[in-house]
Amino acid sequence: MQIQILTPSGKIFEGEGTSVRVPGTGGQFEVLENHAAIVSSLDPGTIRIILADGSIKNVEIQSGFIEVLKNEVALLVTIAEAAA
Amino acid sequence: MAANLKEVRERIKSVISTQQITKAMKMVSAAKLRRAQQAIVDMRPYADRLNTMMVNILANADGDLNSAFGLQRDVQKVCIVVVTSSKGLCGAFNTNVIKLASARIQEQYQEVMEKGNLTVVCIGKKGNDYFRRHFKKARIVSDHVNMFQDLRYEKVQEAAQELMDGFSDQTYDIVEVAYGRFKNAATQYPEMETFLPVISEKSKETRQRADYLFEPDKNGLLDHLLPSILKTSFYKYLLDTHASEHGARMTAMEKASENAEEILKELKISYNKARQEAITKELSEIVGGAAALEGA
Repeated sequence: MQIQILTPSGKIFEGEGTSVRVPGTGGQFEVLENHAAIVSSLDPGTIRIILADGSIKNVEIQSGFIEVLKNEVALLVTIAEAAA
Repeated sequence: MAANLKEVRERIKSVISTQQITKAMKMVSAAKLRRAQQAIVDMRPYADRLNTMMVNILANADGDLNSAFGLQRDVQKVCIVVVTSSKGLCGAFNTNVIKLASARIQEQYQEVMEKGNLTVVCIGKKGNDYFRRHFKKARIVSDHVNMFQDLRYEKVQEAAQELMDGFSDQTYDIVEVAYGRFKNAATQYPEMETFLPVISEKSKETRQRADYLFEPDKNGLLDHLLPSILKTSFYKYLLDTHASEHGARMTAMEKASENAEEILKELKISYNKARQEAITKELSEIVGGAAALEGA
């Protein structure tokens, strides 16, 4: 699925991935392929993305939102720093 | 006229060095403008997406925006945010913003000010200086004067948060922002917008009714979403003003360099005239002297 991370100072990530784990306000959850459409606000924490090639990308966030629609994941976040 | 010749030479020198400065400032502004514009472009997808999200939620919520930030109250206490630059030499840019804001105060909020219920939050030194000097009855807040030195979202959102807090605890009934809207490098115009309360636009856009799951729930989400949208639009005011400032300075310095060029042209002509005159005079003196010798 297509994943993009947007912040007020620009797009920091765009690419294919197989899994996104986010710290939702209602609890941490993971979005996999063909997830139902969802909109959720996010708490401070770490977003973990598993990319198409199997590697893992972590992004620390302060707050934000996730929107999933038809295998497109949009993460609108304010960040701390991108951890490797 | 040797004295005149020297004078003209000095003036040429001084005009040239002024022109060097204005040219350099133009280049610097052009570079900064490009960066400022980039910041606006970078922010746009984020802002657009947030708005779409809100439209989606409202479309699914079958209702209006019921938020603390949407409450229209009787206007008793007013807050005006004036966003100007901290540096001058950018034409009428700052003056225009200041003029707009003070006209608004005089037309609309004179009474409020007399009662001491007007707060002016100044971002950027120029506006701060002006309002401190001319609006003694208003409460001037200068906490964020130097915001432009560090224009990061994290910093800006703090100021936005303060305003939003002020609105929700009824310190202000309305918050308006005067800023320099950026159109392109040559055109910026001052604008006044209502920041709070939020005027909920009836979303007439195509309601794509995807059946979203909402977490925590629609209202809880809106409580999160709205502040983010507000902060983003506040951020945009600042980015716009920032870009406008550099655009205005670029234009002003361009004009100044052109003017310098013109003055130089005139000076060079009068310099050459003076030089010619001096030579002619000297020649005729020599010729006259030789003739006198011959005659003797």
